[in-house]
Amino acid sequence: MLPTSLGEGPFAVATQGLTKRYAREPALNGVDLQIPEGAVYVLAGPNGAGKSTLIRSLLGLARPDAGRATVLGLDPRTSGPEVRARTGYVPEGAGGAYGWMRVGRLLQHHAAYYATWDRDYAGRLSRALDVRPERRVGALSKGQVRRLQLVLALAHRPSLLLLDEPTDGLDPAARDEALGLLSEHLADTGGSVLISTHLPHEVDGLADHLGVLRGGRLVAQAPRERLERMLRVYRAEGPDGWVGPEDLSGVIDRRAGVGRELRWTVWGEEGEVVARIAASGGAVRDVARLPFEDSVLALLRAKEAS
Amino acid sequence: MRISINPADARPIYVQIMDEVRRALVVGALRPEDPLPSVRQLASDLRLNPNTVAQAYRELEREGVVYVRRGQGTFVGERGAAGAERQRLARAVAERALLDAHRHGLSAEDLVEAVRTLAAGQAQPSTADA
Repeated sequence: MLPTSLGEGPFAVATQGLTKRYAREPALNGVDLQIPEGAVYVLAGPNGAGKSTLIRSLLGLARPDAGRATVLGLDPRTSGPEVRARTGYVPEGAGGAYGWMRVGRLLQHHAAYYATWDRDYAGRLSRALDVRPERRVGALSKGQVRRLQLVLALAHRPSLLLLDEPTDGLDPAARDEALGLLSEHLADTGGSVLISTHLPHEVDGLADHLGVLRGGRLVAQAPRERLERMLRVYRAEGPDGWVGPEDLSGVIDRRAGVGRELRWTVWGEEGEVVARIAASGGAVRDVARLPFEDSVLALLRAKEAS
Repeated sequence: MRISINPADARPIYVQIMDEVRRALVVGALRPEDPLPSVRQLASDLRLNPNTVAQAYRELEREGVVYVRRGQGTFVGERGAAGAERQRLARAVAERALLDAHRHGLSAEDLVEAVRTLAAGQAQPSTADA
């Protein structure tokens, strides 16, 4: 019932049946991720859903047990270094490497590695995010590391950004600044972005595609406009004992409202759903699209069988 | 011109931007031949996807409210004069109020009557607008 394919592309990232097991537990289970070129794709899901494993597979940092991935036209299993050179990556967590290095030295190190590194832009990003070159990397707080990672990811103006919980550990002011820098990056490059998050409301204004990962499975992915058109909450009231239409398809959630009111969350064409509810004897009082975060919650709760 | 966006609003974000531009025209904050902020600037200020801002500008251009000067940006057109947009904005506000009335089980007549009574009993609320 829920949409899982975005059609023909062109895609900056596409995987087919990507599967990864740790011990016996599947961390990724047949994932067909599709990130259209130029999209801001938000990958939502609870902690442990497999988001980081998926991103690491795209960079050739984790080896899938089955399935394939194409990233910027390359296969990350055989062309990992090329993929990483053309991608801006903010990894999960603080990362232990380079602790002894000064921040400024680490920036120079990256400048030498990336052919497209823009020194002026790196300087502007560092000032905007208050990243200080004289500090030692190992002495930075979690939020400071995050800001440094954002500078490192953006300063070579990559055509693909893979951001794993990029706002994690940022205080509200730094988060706001980082989102503004991402907007500018998008306006300047027209590039593609994957943002994994368990706090989707933070990236509400940027997202134009949503994928929901649960237990290693991509349970839904769709463009934002399709999501907003198809996923809606209906409130209706009916006579005493009214239970609504019996075989309404696409129902994600049904609950009693106040008094004789019933409330459905449905994936479907609004006209059809309203007609079905009306035909069963109810008066539809309100049809509303869900806020972005509520859409994610609804899709996460959608029944496994659907 | 100060544009504000509310993610919880029922209107899609690009529609909210369009309505905010109309509002700025009606209150006189924007006049014909004034420039709109660049897509990059507005997207960055509001932390939005630039495509969303571009979509709002395209729709406003299609309606003749703004026009694009090659290489210079987007400007308010003659049709964007306060009078012309007044009606459109009033319709948009009325539409939202009607929807809300329906949600509360009220008819259009109930709403109109309440608005009349309120307007008669009340001086224009002062809205100091930046």
